[in-house]
Amino acid sequence: MVRLENVGKRYGADAEILHDVSLTLDTGGFYFLTGVSGAGKTTLLKIIYLAEPPSRGVVTLFDTNASTADRVTHTSLRRRIGIVFQDFRLVDHLSVRDNVALPLRIAGAPEREIRENVPELLGWMGLEDKLDFRPATLSGGEQQRVAIARAIVRRPDLLIADEPTGNVDDEIAMLLVRVFERINKLGTTVLIATHDVAFARQFAHRRYHLDRGALSMPAENVAAQ
Amino acid sequence: MISSLRLPRQLRLDLPLRRDASGRFLPWIIALMVYLAAMGGIGLIWLADMLSQWDASLASTLTLQVPSDTSQPRIEMTLHTLRQTNGVVSTRLLQPDETAKLLEPWLGNTVAASDLPLPRLIDVQVDPQATIDYDALRKQLDSIVPNAQLDNNRSWLVGVRAFALRVEGVITAGVVVVTVLIIAIIVFAARIGLAIHRSVIELLHLLGAQDSYIARQFQVHALTLGLRGGIIGAIAAAVTVMVLVPAAHMLELPAPITGYGLLDWRVWVLLVATGIAAGAVAMVTARITVLRQLARMP
Repeated sequence: MVRLENVGKRYGADAEILHDVSLTLDTGGFYFLTGVSGAGKTTLLKIIYLAEPPSRGVVTLFDTNASTADRVTHTSLRRRIGIVFQDFRLVDHLSVRDNVALPLRIAGAPEREIRENVPELLGWMGLEDKLDFRPATLSGGEQQRVAIARAIVRRPDLLIADEPTGNVDDEIAMLLVRVFERINKLGTTVLIATHDVAFARQFAHRRYHLDRGALSMPAENVAAQ
Repeated sequence: MISSLRLPRQLRLDLPLRRDASGRFLPWIIALMVYLAAMGGIGLIWLADMLSQWDASLASTLTLQVPSDTSQPRIEMTLHTLRQTNGVVSTRLLQPDETAKLLEPWLGNTVAASDLPLPRLIDVQVDPQATIDYDALRKQLDSIVPNAQLDNNRSWLVGVRAFALRVEGVITAGVVVVTVLIIAIIVFAARIGLAIHRSVIELLHLLGAQDSYIARQFQVHALTLGLRGGIIGAIAAAVTVMVLVPAAHMLELPAPITGYGLLDWRVWVLLVATGIAAGAVAMVTARITVLRQLARMP
């Protein structure tokens, strides 16, 4: 599904942020990406969801070489990826309903389908009474659930979440991972980035670890596999 | 609460463009441009009408001037010669007081016409389709009344046409400048909009939006602003015509200006077309500008 080969990234003349990163995410897999703040997790995720091009190396998404693909191909690849941003990136002037409907509208889904599916999904996320609220009026946890709903509304092949558990207590963090596991069971490959290694270790999922731009696969993955 | 889900998809804006400051001043600037363009267009219509009316009336009219001391028998012979000329429909000798009346705007009514050596004027109506040999006619008339002057108005009409052509050129150039200004304003506003909403545009890209999806938002917004400005400008031009035409009547200006005014269907077509054109120019300009800028984004 996702394969990175010898990927490196640097901005301008600065030192390289990622060095020779090679990674494979299998279809239907559940992965954690751990590393301290500044290790390069967000940069690596941006390369995977095509927000940033790598400085070198090859990125293959859904059997397509994204490194050499044109803008139109990038667009079709992005439509197969759901992203939960660290800062949620909800659109302030749109209601909760319209924020979640965005990926469907962009993909040209019929309005009837949007009217049926969006409230149902938001109900599943416990936000059925917030449909017409603006993001600014919601709590942090509610905003995060809206961001997750927007990421999964189109049933993506790959779901990427950047520090979804960073600003919530352990109980909520656990609940969020359970939500991602339910999505994963529906066939979506999930990649969660977190700085909290101990938290990721609580789950029997494969884990990649970034340390100052170098990616490794810790030994416990053998058990997870 | 009215949900934006009820808006037609084509009019829905994911970007908060309607909140931008450009939405407040742009329609007024476009309205001014449309007003100037519409008045220029109406001016062209009036100018063309005026020329064709002068063409039609002057092509069928000749004026013959004979010196003031010409005897009555010679005048009669002149009139007879004119009537015998192929293509002449009728002749009429103007009375001295009629000639004096023509000079009244310059001389006032305090000067007695009889005190002045005014030439006698003969108004000659000709068939505009007929071919008259003016050189031969002049020679013939000169043999009867030396120094008689036959004026077929052509040299004057040539001068007026040359002037009108220049005026048309100036008005057309003005309309072109107005169009270019509208394009420049929209390009400027679209670029500012792209810069202000860059983060949301990046988000839309990451959610799988094609450049055309984002450009559509800008073009719908520009179309709305352009049409709003176009309607305001067209209404202002219509009001100007409504005010100008009665004023022209009072000043006894030439027929086209005192003519139909808003009853002229061409004026309506021009006003509607100018308003719609403003919207169309704004929409196309926004689309092209945004697509070009987006192509530079990752």
